[in-house]
Amino acid sequence: MKLFRNPDVMWREEEEYKDQAMAGLEKGEDIEDVGTSVLFSGGTMMSLNILGTEIWKLCDGRTLDEIVRALVEIFDVQPEVLREDAAGFISELKEKGYIYEG
Amino acid sequence: MKDNFLPSAPLTINWAVTNRCNFKCSHCYSRSDPSEELSFEDLSECIRQAAEAGVLSINFGGGEPLLRRDLLAIARFASGLGMRVSMNSNGYLLDRDMVFRLREHGFTKVGISIDSHLPEVHDNFRGIRGSHERAVKALAFLKEAGIETSLSTVICRINHTDITALVRFALESRVRQLNFHNFKCSGLGYSNKDTLDLSSEEWREFYREALALKEQTSDLEISLDDPIIALLGKHNNTSMVKGSICGKLSLNIKTNGEITPCGFIPVVIGNITKDNLKVLWKSSPVLEKMRHKTPTGKCASCGSYEDCLGGCSARALALTGDMNNPDPHCWRNES
Ligand code: SF4
Repeated sequence: MKLFRNPDVMWREEEEYKDQAMAGLEKGEDIEDVGTSVLFSGGTMMSLNILGTEIWKLCDGRTLDEIVRALVEIFDVQPEVLREDAAGFISELKEKGYIYEG
Repeated sequence: MKDNFLPSAPLTINWAVTNRCNFKCSHCYSRSDPSEELSFEDLSECIRQAAEAGVLSINFGGGEPLLRRDLLAIARFASGLGMRVSMNSNGYLLDRDMVFRLREHGFTKVGISIDSHLPEVHDNFRGIRGSHERAVKALAFLKEAGIETSLSTVICRINHTDITALVRFALESRVRQLNFHNFKCSGLGYSNKDTLDLSSEEWREFYREALALKEQTSDLEISLDDPIIALLGKHNNTSMVKGSICGKLSLNIKTNGEITPCGFIPVVIGNITKDNLKVLWKSSPVLEKMRHKTPTGKCASCGSYEDCLGGCSARALALTGDMNNPDPHCWRNES
């Protein structure tokens, strides 16, 4: 099943926070709470951390397998762990209507 | 994700392009504003700055934005920079031809102000005979052109007990969204507050009914942009933002480029023709104060404070002189 971002959802990467997250990642800090992008829809905002942001960006028609393969290239984390995180996050976004399957 | 996340720049801007209006509404906050209008060139430069800062959408307002002859060119410029463009209009000047031109120039959403399902009530309130009929036609044209529509209603004395009929009317008009705006007491709204505003008990009754309708109604998104509904146990748990979004996700820009936290707070924090939007967003003491309100009076002992944050800062400021004071619409008794 291919995954797509809902085009009604506006979003942007937050470059300065992204730099901060990358620097933290290199130092081995916990950067889970650093928002590196924002999604904006219907007057509400959601911020995504660096893993969430990369997953969101990869929802361009790829399948979950393809997304996990791309994530493995970026993050030094076991593929099974990444798969579980990505699947959970994608289902949360699907529930909100931010992502759809096609 | 942490709760107090502040985006690096506003996500959306309400941008007044003219204060001129073809209507005579008694709750208006802009018709009495004598500010100049920026030229197309200056305005375009400001819009470019907003896009570069990362602003995602602009909602044009006024006044009646369609009275600005270059509105279409302004919209095309903004949408060409990748921003989502919408506007609020009274609908009077929207015929079929204009609506299709709006779409061509990048408008994706238009909100039409309608204050009552009853034409005579709306026409009297807006000061123009036939305005209800024109607004209803505008909604149909917009629908035909594939532009998303919303219906905006300022809740006040003329309509607060009629909202079931308003919801039915919105459903019949097949709009996607019905926005109930609470009465703000800014501009002419302040001068007319004694005849238009509701008592806090009446606000409570209105919100009870509106929330019940919201729960029962599908096919229509009913939006109640008022933080004090937290007192009825409701809060928008899909949003990371507590209290109101003004100064946290959005800003307001006046016709002359002056920036205020929202259209109803007349405190100028800078001017987009001179100031850097991102710097101002991060360093303005006024915005800082709005983002870090401190509970005073009855808010200090209120269990809903975490979600409500004292309610609407604009109302508190207009009626008490301090945005930290409890929202004057709040019905909670001090205990
Ligand atoms: S007392 Fe203050 S915090 Fe509580 S609901 Fe009223 S305005 Fe909001």
